[in-house]
Amino acid sequence: MDRDKILQTIRENKAKTAPLPKPFGSPTEKQDSGLINRFKEMLQQVGGGCFEVNGAEELHAFVGEHFPGATDFRKEETWKEFPPDCPKEKLAQLKTVMLEGQFGVAENAAIWLDETRFPNRLIPFIAEELIVCLYSKQIVQDMHEAYSKSGKNTTGFGVFISGPSKTADIEQNLVFGAHGAKKYSVIFY
Amino acid sequence: MTGHAQQAGQFLKNRERAAWHDETLWIVRQKRDKMARAVPEWEDLREQASQIKQHTLSELDNYLVQFEKQAQKNGAQVHWAGDAARFNEVVSGIIKENNATKVVKSKSMLTEECGLNPFLEKKGIGVTDTDLGERIIQFREEPPSHIVMPAIHLKKEEIGELFHEKLHTEKGNFDPTYLTAAARVHLRQKFLEAEVAITGVNFAVAETGTVVVCTNEGNADMGVHAAPVQIHCVGIEKMIPRMTELGVFIRLLARSATGQPITTYTSHYQRPKPGGQMHIVIVDNGRSEHLGREDYRNALKCIRCGACMNTCPVYRRSGGHSYGSVIPGPIGSILAPHSHIKNYNDLPFASSLCGSCSDVCPVKIDIHDQLYRWRQDLSEKKRISPTKRHTMKIAGKILAGSKMYDFSGKMARWGIKNLPRKLVYNRLNVWGKERELPEVPKESFKQWYKRTQQGKGGKNGQG
Repeated sequence: MDRDKILQTIRENKAKTAPLPKPFGSPTEKQDSGLINRFKEMLQQVGGGCFEVNGAEELHAFVGEHFPGATDFRKEETWKEFPPDCPKEKLAQLKTVMLEGQFGVAENAAIWLDETRFPNRLIPFIAEELIVCLYSKQIVQDMHEAYSKSGKNTTGFGVFISGPSKTADIEQNLVFGAHGAKKYSVIFY
Repeated sequence: MTGHAQQAGQFLKNRERAAWHDETLWIVRQKRDKMARAVPEWEDLREQASQIKQHTLSELDNYLVQFEKQAQKNGAQVHWAGDAARFNEVVSGIIKENNATKVVKSKSMLTEECGLNPFLEKKGIGVTDTDLGERIIQFREEPPSHIVMPAIHLKKEEIGELFHEKLHTEKGNFDPTYLTAAARVHLRQKFLEAEVAITGVNFAVAETGTVVVCTNEGNADMGVHAAPVQIHCVGIEKMIPRMTELGVFIRLLARSATGQPITTYTSHYQRPKPGGQMHIVIVDNGRSEHLGREDYRNALKCIRCGACMNTCPVYRRSGGHSYGSVIPGPIGSILAPHSHIKNYNDLPFASSLCGSCSDVCPVKIDIHDQLYRWRQDLSEKKRISPTKRHTMKIAGKILAGSKMYDFSGKMARWGIKNLPRKLVYNRLNVWGKERELPEVPKESFKQWYKRTQQGKGGKNGQG
């Protein structure tokens, strides 16, 4: 009954139909080479670390050398260890988590991750440190392009992440690690 | 003297803090400017956002129905609440059905507006606000003073003292990093225990039935993904048509709010987690009524970024609490009198009408024009204080006739110069409170003009 009343009041009160403007086009010419540099610049601004390796093989070696203890959800066996119904107390023990990003956005260093990338939705948030691997060709210019890619998402949950969790609620002092990852890095390959 | 002015006077008593508040919010405004300037198409984006909202509001019933259908298809349960009381009942009903007593909540001005926390607390359900700023003010049993930075009125020493008392942090340790770490540990426990998580909603996408929540802390996600039951509370005006339109608003929101290119987390909740429940409560509470107020309709475009507060010379110097309304600042001064005209009839006057709010608004709401219109409506409805009404009436008469004007000017110039200070700065002279009247010129402009320009000819020089 609340539903009908709300809808009825809207019908009585709304203005005459205004047209929906044409989708906002990305204004500038595409500059594929500049995208990664723009992304890196923004990543630094939002407090994220940045590594760059040459291709998938080098990435493998790099991860083995620099993040040997990471819980790597790019691997099938990790999914078995942390199934979707994994108790949250166990997830709360996660230190360094590694995920594969789907694509990045140059204008704000956000990376899209939907739930095909992790078995439990808490994982990207509850880890102390988050590392996202991103194929360096998978970068779009802005959020318009981003949503034309992710907008077709049919999974139950997806998120753009840009940097570590942060707060400035105490006197506007920026502090990393409010509730989510305290440390955040991207490895381009 | 009116409510806002009195409260502002209280706020200004602590000069150091008031100056800090003013400067800090101005820094946020400058960060916003830097971000806006870095996007060459910024003005087009604002126009686009404004038009999208214009369209959506003109088709709001259809979009709500589409959203509901899509969300249900996704497996979410959709509820409708006509007013605050009904909203509180719906939410407490969901909590009760699940025999839950532990609830976490991320920031939602809508639940603040409806008084959800006190309602649930009366029913024995403990709600923990999980945004750091909100947790701080919840401990202090205070309302937020800003919609994006709820604890901006507090200094770190006060928060250190508060955390020492509530969370047993070291006495005298006011380091923000230390205090944030303590809150993290405290709230991590709350997240893991919670049976129900409540969130507000930044945008609801009709095409896909998705609700979108933006946070920097990650508290909405920690709550939603850890608790078996998630409840998203959304005002009807949060609808947007499609994902295509979402991009426009995500680009504008964080840049306008805090001068960030995007919030750390932009989360898209579409289906319940495996074995979990997802509820969406669609709330009206006066919004559909507001849609019919043609002159003020645009206020429903608001995306709650807070940019109008950060830039407002009155807000910055009077603090959010001085407004006494759920949403303070310029946009709050439009909305509050509509919900309760008697309590908030002074808020449209809490503005210098400088227009800065309208300039920074990412959805181009004509904020200062609406405030000006409110003043006229209020005085027509005789809803302003008698002092203001009579002063205006007298001023109107004086300004309408040139003889009266000349005479009054002369009197005022003489009076300010010759009358005793006590008489000039009397109780009725609210302008002169904490402010010096300008130095009196020897002659009026008219006299000066006559004296110097007479006989010079020129277009307007005939004397």
